[in-house]
Amino acid sequence: MTMRKWVLSAAFAAIGAIATATAQAETLRVGMECTYAPFNFRAPGGEMSGYDVDVAKGVAQLIGADLQYVCQQWDGMIPALLTNKFDLIVASMSITDERLQKMDFSVPYRVSIGRFLGPKGKDLKLFDDKGKPIQSSFKNLTVGVERASTYAKWIEAKLPGANIRLYDGAQAMLLDLRNGRVDVAITNPMKAYLEFLSTDQGAKFEFVSPAIDEREYFGTGVGIGIRKGQEDLVKRVNGALKTLIENGSLEKYGHKYFPFSISPENWKGVGVN
Amino acid sequence: MAALSGWWDDFFFGTVMVLKVFAASLVLAVIFGLLGASAKLSRNRAAQVLAKAYTVVFRGTPELVVLLLFYFGTAVVLTRIAQIYDPQIKFVDVPPFWAGAIAIGLIVGAYMTETFRGAFMGVAHGQVEAAHALGLTKGQTFFYVRMPQMWRLALPNFGNHMLSIMKDTALISIVGLEEIVFVGQMATAVTHKPFLMFMTVALIYLAITTVITILTWWLERYANSHLERVR
Amino acid sequence: MNFDFNLILSSLPQIAAGLGITLKLMAYSTAIGLVLAVLILLMRISGRWYLTWPAMGYIYFLRGTPILVQIFIIYHGLPQLDFVRESVLWPVLREPFGCCVVALSLNSSAYISEILRGGVLGVDKGVNEAARALGLSAPQRFIYIVTPIAVRLALPAYSNEFISMMKATALASTVTLLDITGVARTIVSNTFAPFEIFIAAALIYLAMAWVFQVGFGKLEDYLGKYTKRGASA
Repeated sequence: MTMRKWVLSAAFAAIGAIATATAQAETLRVGMECTYAPFNFRAPGGEMSGYDVDVAKGVAQLIGADLQYVCQQWDGMIPALLTNKFDLIVASMSITDERLQKMDFSVPYRVSIGRFLGPKGKDLKLFDDKGKPIQSSFKNLTVGVERASTYAKWIEAKLPGANIRLYDGAQAMLLDLRNGRVDVAITNPMKAYLEFLSTDQGAKFEFVSPAIDEREYFGTGVGIGIRKGQEDLVKRVNGALKTLIENGSLEKYGHKYFPFSISPENWKGVGVN
Repeated sequence: MAALSGWWDDFFFGTVMVLKVFAASLVLAVIFGLLGASAKLSRNRAAQVLAKAYTVVFRGTPELVVLLLFYFGTAVVLTRIAQIYDPQIKFVDVPPFWAGAIAIGLIVGAYMTETFRGAFMGVAHGQVEAAHALGLTKGQTFFYVRMPQMWRLALPNFGNHMLSIMKDTALISIVGLEEIVFVGQMATAVTHKPFLMFMTVALIYLAITTVITILTWWLERYANSHLERVR
Repeated sequence: MNFDFNLILSSLPQIAAGLGITLKLMAYSTAIGLVLAVLILLMRISGRWYLTWPAMGYIYFLRGTPILVQIFIIYHGLPQLDFVRESVLWPVLREPFGCCVVALSLNSSAYISEILRGGVLGVDKGVNEAARALGLSAPQRFIYIVTPIAVRLALPAYSNEFISMMKATALASTVTLLDITGVARTIVSNTFAPFEIFIAAALIYLAMAWVFQVGFGKLEDYLGKYTKRGASA
């Protein structure tokens, strides 16, 4: 009997020691996918790199905090924030009304757009001249889309009958597009341009739709996600972001990876300077 | 093959992480297994029912679901519990390492409960009676008489449980732990060579499980050595 | 955060939509896995080194690596090889369902062949010798004498492996399949209530496990009829 009690209390003590209570923390934990080049990914050297990482570092420096990166799969990003796995989401997350009901966002630091990718020369005619999707063209196509993304929400609303495949990450989706597992995919055109279409992986592919940026689904842009009830943190982050925008740092970070501008103010399109 | 260079140290650190999780899960699994087995073997009805529920739930639910539940759910539960004791605490977090270790510990612990229970029952009751006659307390009997003899009987299945733990650690990559499967995914994102990367991951796991199998075989020989000499 | 019981109940029917895929996966993988397992078993006990060694290597690799890694190799890795994409197997491997069936069949066949081998080894030598004395050939002995007894002996371990395979189907959600876990993860990403939704998913798996346990129990009773004392007239 005593042995069992001892083991039980040891077990509880162990669990208690494991769980960490945090109250101080000018270490901010940042949640990101870590596999979403060129926004947040791990370079072969082992360093976290990317546009989102640079923005996070810039903000942290200005508000005087240390950063700790936490890798999280996209579809669990918001649940993880809400259950306190991390304090900020800096992972190219779009500011949409639906998300604003559950969490707060900073001001946008990047434009948020979706676009379809498909094989070259197929002449798919997915959209009409007014920029509306043609339902019948999608009938025999398998569409790849990332789970829990703005693209998924858009497709759910605009192409409810479409044959979609939900992916845990963009990487797997683009690989499958190349291998012919899906016929078209809708995703972030900036990433697609840089990491896919301009490489030999995507040599046989191109954009097959105009850019889609309906406010309702793509929101006002991409922002830093923060749990509700931390207005002070939101203010500090916004202050830092505004400084970064004003002193041109944000543009600089963008141009490190892209030959075109990706900030909300200077956005002209993919491949257009 | 050249694509692998540059990722060797990532795979190395990922392997170290796998071994760390393995060790933590193993300890937890043994603890849960012993707790469960003694609960099932006790005369306390409540303990028996609880242990039965434990084994049924954790042997019947997919490891992935248990893991996801623990990763997202425990933070919530623990926070509420912690707030009862100290309302100041804003939140309690369980990092993926421990969420994974506890989840695997509970799952394989449920299987170990059955293994230990069978092994305990295999220890001749006369041994326990003799210990009692000699004046040993229940605790002393457990540690010095029952456990050593139980281990020998439990070893073959225990070896299989250790292999299960090792293979289940791959799942923790899904909740962000930077072990070798995750490294494989990151490497694939950069090199676009999934076959090479995931084969590397598989071979690393194979190497570790081979070591565990050899270890178990050696332990079995050692535990049974006192029987082998009688020919 | 509030614990929402109603959410568990209301999400059950939604998650059950994934049940179809889970059951289909299990059906195909069980059937193909069993056929492969018998094949590997025959190779393993053949006594000829050129058959035994490949079988042992097959079992060693598939039991020594995690199922998740096996699924990733088949789903993500194989298309990297050009000859796979042009081969006859591509229509199967192109679909995530096909890839998961291949992975689960291969993996379970490795375990099942060892389980069957345990059953075969458990058949009393005397029974085999008596059959030989009666003039039955080796294949006849295997089919009519050894197999029925081996199957009965192997059944408990087989039922465990069957349940393990049921649990492994949850990994199909990592390669876009909308099985029970896949649907659950999608709902979680929309409702942000992981606790309640995953508990609902767990309940469905537990219900399935319970049904299968009862089924196997009945099968064990049926096959073990003649071993029960007082059963024969």
